[in-house]
Amino acid sequence: MLDWLDAFLITGLFEVVMIAGLGLLLHLQLGLARIANFGVVGFWGVGMYTFGVLYVKVDWPFGDPWQFLACAAAATLVAGLAGALVGWLISDLDIDGVLVVTLGFATAVQIVATTEADWTGGAFGLGGLGFPYDIGTVKENEFVWLMITGLLVAAILFYVWRVHRSPYGRLLIATGGNEPLARSLGKPTFRTKLWLFVVTSAAMGLLGAMEAVMVRYLDVGHIGISITLAAIVGLVLGGTARVWGAVVGTVLTVGLFDIVIRTYLPLPREWYSQALPVMREVLFGLALILVLLFRPLGLLGDMRRDQLMRKLHGR
Amino acid sequence: MVADVVAPAPAARPQIRIEGAVKSFGGHVVVDVDELVLGDRPIEGLIGPNGAGKTTLMRMIMHSIPLDRGSVTLRPVDGPEVALSKLPADQMARHGVVKSNQVITDFDKLTILDSLLLASTEHRYEQPYRVFSEELVFERYGSEIARYLDYFGFTDARALALSAGEKKLLDIIRCLLVKPSFLMLDEPTAGLPGELTEKVMATIREIAAAGTAVVIVEHDLNVIWSLCDEVHFMAEGKVVLHGDPQSIREHRTVVEKYLGEGHV
Repeated sequence: MLDWLDAFLITGLFEVVMIAGLGLLLHLQLGLARIANFGVVGFWGVGMYTFGVLYVKVDWPFGDPWQFLACAAAATLVAGLAGALVGWLISDLDIDGVLVVTLGFATAVQIVATTEADWTGGAFGLGGLGFPYDIGTVKENEFVWLMITGLLVAAILFYVWRVHRSPYGRLLIATGGNEPLARSLGKPTFRTKLWLFVVTSAAMGLLGAMEAVMVRYLDVGHIGISITLAAIVGLVLGGTARVWGAVVGTVLTVGLFDIVIRTYLPLPREWYSQALPVMREVLFGLALILVLLFRPLGLLGDMRRDQLMRKLHGR
Repeated sequence: MVADVVAPAPAARPQIRIEGAVKSFGGHVVVDVDELVLGDRPIEGLIGPNGAGKTTLMRMIMHSIPLDRGSVTLRPVDGPEVALSKLPADQMARHGVVKSNQVITDFDKLTILDSLLLASTEHRYEQPYRVFSEELVFERYGSEIARYLDYFGFTDARALALSAGEKKLLDIIRCLLVKPSFLMLDEPTAGLPGELTEKVMATIREIAAAGTAVVIVEHDLNVIWSLCDEVHFMAEGKVVLHGDPQSIREHRTVVEKYLGEGHV
């Protein structure tokens, strides 16, 4: 079964799905509410390690899939609590302050994951993770996990699509665009931003737990800045303010690199361990610079509320 | 026109009491008001030369500028007094106190309809889990918004507001849609053509007749003289005179400090 499917393709597609999911959540924060979260990987990492530590270190009285569900729920909750703390800290900061605090948070998460070796395995990593099912070969298990994660990200995409068509989305855009004016109309902008940050951080944590299952061995290299960079580059390239921006941008960046270049181009084998990851960061950075210079609103352009309002409420 | 979109008149109006309110910038006292009660009459005007502190006083009431000392209290028609100077800015509107802006301000990404739906919508419809409530909100508030849009001659509410005049009107309509019990308007007719100025004035009269206390800061004194039941005159940060428009207009101090000889 699945002989037609390359194992590298499953990994590449999973990366695309994962980064698109993070990009969609970042779109709610940055594209609508104008919260420049540069610590995406921090919340993702909190979810990943909370899941990993609970799954491996706790002696659960029940097995999978309940063990997975309990650990994933805890990972979501802990990432949400981290979102509440960071969201509260950044609530009154300008964009530079938000950038520094969120970046600092992501760094702190990586440092804690490295130094708390008793729990996380530190630099050696944490093994013992596995799929909450076993339907056959590793490739088959990974394929099913790709499908499940794909469904989760599709649900996030649907939610984001609905947010654009709801009073909540309007409130987020208003809060991001002119917070004092929104406040003067009685809108609790502090609470709105805080809850948005909690919910989206929790979802990032859940995605981190999904990643932990897929990689099955956590090491601190997983939670480096490259994840945040990929999510930001994908979103900015596609269009920060557009629903499909993160998806289009991620396919064109992560998809192109991790699937087309990495899997199908005949590159020397020795490149895979050192050169390709570096090339990836360089190309992503270059893409970000070029987009910001020549098409700052991304390939899909700016939000089109006029078209949306005509579609929703007629002419 | 708008008579059918405003609430029926209650028996009394809310008042705002300002006591010992002081605000300085860089050691220079901009506002120093011992005692002032706003809302005794349906429509009150606040006039004075540039730099008299009118806009600063309004912003102090709205708590968008913190007071150095003193207090601002809302005395609602029913219920206990509310210390406005201790409230977060977003709770002002929930107590019915709303202010339009002197400087034109808008939501850049939102269309005219978006902006007005935002002002109308109760916060319970704006929760993260209520992503299917747009239709309900439009059904609930759409017709009221449409009446304002028709009255003020907006042709395409699904587009973004482009002109300064449209944005100024939007600011006023947003305030009205919040259903204020105490409405402060900072230069509501500035930059509007004559016909729209008349429409804004008619709207102000109607909402005041329906029970909203209205305070206007305006440099177009024709608006003040024809709309206001009482006028407060500010100079150098203090409220120095109160009275009906006729007496203020003819008062020696007002003529000397503001209007100039030959105005009356």
